[in-house]
Amino acid sequence: METVGYGTRVRHLWGNVRRFPVIPALILATLVFVAIFADLIAPYPSDVMSLPDKLTPPFFMPGGSMAHLLGTDNIGRDILSRMLFGARVSLSVSLLVIAISTVIGTIMGMIAGYVGGRTDAVLMRITDAALAFPALLIALLLGVALGPSFGTVVLALSALGWAPYTRMMRGEVMKVRQEDFVAQARIIGSSSWRIFTRHLFPNVVNTLVVLMTMSVGLVILIEASLSFLGAGIPPPTPSWGSMVSDGRNLLERGWWISVFPSLAIGLVVLAGNFMGDWIRDKMDPRLRQL
Amino acid sequence: MARFILIRIFQAFLTLIVISMVIFALARASGDPVMLMAPPMATLDDLQAIREHLGLDKSLPEQYWVFVKNVAHGDFGDSIRTRRPVTTIIWERLPNTVSLGLSAIFLGLIVSLFLGVTSACKFGTWLDNAVKFIAILGQALPSFFLAIVAIAIFAVWLKWLPTSGLGGPDHYILPVLTLSFFSLPIFTRLIRSSMLEILDSEYVKLARIKGLSERMVVWKHALRNAIIPLLTAAGISFGTIVTGAVIIETVFAWPGLGRLMATAVMERDFPVIQAAVLLVAVVVLMVNLLVDITYAYVDPRIRY
Repeated sequence: METVGYGTRVRHLWGNVRRFPVIPALILATLVFVAIFADLIAPYPSDVMSLPDKLTPPFFMPGGSMAHLLGTDNIGRDILSRMLFGARVSLSVSLLVIAISTVIGTIMGMIAGYVGGRTDAVLMRITDAALAFPALLIALLLGVALGPSFGTVVLALSALGWAPYTRMMRGEVMKVRQEDFVAQARIIGSSSWRIFTRHLFPNVVNTLVVLMTMSVGLVILIEASLSFLGAGIPPPTPSWGSMVSDGRNLLERGWWISVFPSLAIGLVVLAGNFMGDWIRDKMDPRLRQL
Repeated sequence: MARFILIRIFQAFLTLIVISMVIFALARASGDPVMLMAPPMATLDDLQAIREHLGLDKSLPEQYWVFVKNVAHGDFGDSIRTRRPVTTIIWERLPNTVSLGLSAIFLGLIVSLFLGVTSACKFGTWLDNAVKFIAILGQALPSFFLAIVAIAIFAVWLKWLPTSGLGGPDHYILPVLTLSFFSLPIFTRLIRSSMLEILDSEYVKLARIKGLSERMVVWKHALRNAIIPLLTAAGISFGTIVTGAVIIETVFAWPGLGRLMATAVMERDFPVIQAAVLLVAVVVLMVNLLVDITYAYVDPRIRY
């Protein structure tokens, strides 16, 4: 091993720490915290209406009050509370969608890359079709086909979400299977299962993690778009996308109804993208072009 | 070259079949249109009559076969809602979406070319950082948010531009601007990174040593090669534009294909959604095919 002076090592360590995206990490941590403890922190339940308080502006504007920090919507629901509960939707949908897409995509991609031949050709045709297809359309179609619900949204977003994973995993596995240790494992009679789990997967898992973190922002955005178009999680469950849509025609009288949830979406997506970039640079800098 | 093109066309055709089957299956699963269109007092016999009239009583493979045969003849059936031929409805809407989409792609390309090149040439300066910031922000902010904010500022508050609908050239400004934002960040990032790579290459150095003006070096020698990766991105982002069109057309009440699809899905109008989505799929596939072929033509190293 190369010997390095203490100073160099400290500087190296500092370099890692310094590049760590503190603010994005804080935003994501807040999102997780808020999503878990929404019941405890939110000043009001998400669906309690109070018509006398309707269209109260946020606290920093004339007419605003500390009772409703970010104001209320046109039927007097507290914006801040609804946003806190909405964080739950964004987080749980995106985690589930990414988990499902990863599992399906990894299995399909690894099989396509390892087996090759006709299996590969068929799997890749399907993947190409899924990649070329605008995800939002299928999501809309499924959203209405099965009726709007939490499960439908997850299914709709996973329906095409696996395709990039398949693509990426296939390429990675094709590279790794050329390696001598895979051939050797086969020679000593390892089962396919063992080769997959012990030899191929550990070598592609870095790429997988990078792709997973990088897609967090995208999934949250599509979920918001779906809710915005009215094909997301049905009311009264608050979701950021549907909150933006609620305030769409009230911009003159209550801009805060749409603007705060939009900012929340933007901030979380931004934070997710920054974290993704950082993890990519740490784990797999080859993917920079992504 | 001919072999490459043939294989690509065949693959695109296979992809199309997969897509058509998926669309067909999804549309059939999207609930019973008979219940939606039947009057509330309808008897079971009435329901059955409607079902037979629509051909919904046959088996799924049969329905799919009928669907394919009709499509091959250019017949997409009638809209379940309006009872008008789907082809007519789509032809009415298509020009609006094409003009909106093309203007948005064109604007996105021009602006991103300018931003990407400037930012690569001024690498590391505040200008570069500003462009990077805009690109990152553009990727994170939900597009419907931009559209809504634009309406709030320019239409509601300043009253400079119309809020929605189709009319004179001023109706185009906000939708085109917001739609072009869908592809702007990707394009800009791509041009910036490929320009950075190329500005560092040997032939650019040679061009500089030859004494060419900086403008010639950047905009002619370097940009020509930096544009190649943009081709693929333009192909891929075509799907993004379609997605964007659904949202932007909904926000601006733009009578185009995107809004047609959004409402058709809500109304569970099978024939309309089938035709619209299939049309989009064909166009996306053809654009990608064209991009692949152009790519192979421009860069002879790529062979099948």
